Formats: sequence, structure tokens, C-alpha cells
Amino acid sequence: MAKHYSSFERGGRRWLLQRLTAVFLIGVLAFHFLLLHFANHAANITFAGTQARMSQIGYFATMWLFLVTATFHGVNGVYNALINQGIEGTRKTAVKWVLVAASLLLIAQGTRVALAMNGFLQ
Amino acid sequence: MSQSYDRGTVEDFGRWREFSAGMWAWIFHKFTGWVLVGYLFTHIAVLSTALGGAELYTSTLQGLEALLVVRFLEVGLLAVAVFHILNGVRLLMVDLGVGLEAQDTSFYASMVLTGAIVVASVPTFLGGPLA
Repeated sequence: MAKHYSSFERGGRRWLLQRLTAVFLIGVLAFHFLLLHFANHAANITFAGTQARMSQIGYFATMWLFLVTATFHGVNGVYNALINQGIEGTRKTAVKWVLVAASLLLIAQGTRVALAMNGFLQ
Repeated sequence: MSQSYDRGTVEDFGRWREFSAGMWAWIFHKFTGWVLVGYLFTHIAVLSTALGGAELYTSTLQGLEALLVVRFLEVGLLAVAVFHILNGVRLLMVDLGVGLEAQDTSFYASMVLTGAIVVASVPTFLGGPLA
């Protein structure tokens, strides 16, 4: 019988969210690549094309959720990796709040960009 | 009930020859994760040109796409993303306790499938107008 190892504290809220966001991101990241590299070639991207896509509420909502879930999944992954490297105490607390601040700034900036893309901020 | 597993330090180069498939999967997942989160911040920074107007956004994106090195970096990004997705599916299966005895095989399958998808995608990524 194979052994079952995990670096994460099973049953915790971050453990569950990391997996739930993973399931969402598997589909959306694949969709993002297919749409913007295969269905539309990246070299042909224009603001007008981006605006046309982002003006559709379903696409806009999906992309905004993509931003939020990718930020959580990525930054939480970094935090887990650093815990795995053995940081603890004050360093762990400092890293946690730096990562929280970086995440909030990224989501705020990404939201501004999304609103500029759909024409709301221009 | 989870068990903790002391993987030791990856930086201890002499240990690399002893690594099992699971250890390589863990290292590659971690490496691709660092690349993807780094790219996420870079991506939003580049897309922020949309705040400077339509012309700035279009010329920035098309200017970057005109560079051959950017096309190769995109192929690299695809490789990293595809592996992270496929190995992520494998990890979700492991978490659910599905196919535990096939962990090594599924890691090798992730690698082969990533390679096949990336190679098949190269013509698409290198197509289109270049500088």
C-alpha cells in the first residue's frame, strides 16, 4: 500500500481553499490559454478585441474570479512553500502579512485593469 | 490522518540521484508554482497599460509579441502551466485517495503529455507577425 503524505494541515480552511481554487483554475487557465493563444493569436490582440470580450458580463466575471482565485492559490502556495522551508515565529507572521498585502494590491490593480478593459474607467 | 514527511533540503545537490518520481513531482510542482505566481504579477503589470489608453495597450502587447524571445518565453510558460495543471490533477487524485498505487506512472504520464502538448503548440506560438 502506497503511503499518503501531505505537507498541508488537512481539514484546515486554507487546505480546502487551495484545492477548491485548484479545481476552478484547472478549467479557467486551460480556457484562457486556448482562447488567447489558439482561438485568437496573442500577436493579434488589440484593445478593441479585449474590450469586446470584457464587455460580456459572464466573461468579465470569470476573468475577475480567475484573478482572485489565482492570487489566492499562488500566494498561499508561496506561504506553504516557505512554511515547508521552516520559517516560524516573527518571520512567519511578517511573511504572512507581506503576502496578504501583496495579494490585496494585486487584486485591486487587476480589478482596475478589468474595469478599464470593459470601458467602465475610460 | 495526515503524516508529515521530512523531505530534507532540495539544495543538497548530492541527493538528487536518490530522488524518487514523487520527489521530482514535488520539486517540479513547486518550481512551476513559483514561475506561475511570478508571471501572474508580471502579467497584471503589463496589462495595466490598459489604464493608459487603447493605443498604449495595443502597441505594448503587439510590440512584445513581435519579439521572438517573447514567443519562446510563452512556450516555456505553456510548458510550466500544462505541467502544473496535469500534476495538480494528479495531486487532487492523491488527496482523494484515488490511484495511490499509480502515483509514479501518473507523474511520468504528466511529463510525457506536457511534452507532447508543448511540442504540438510550438508552430502556433511562433506563428503570426514578428519584428
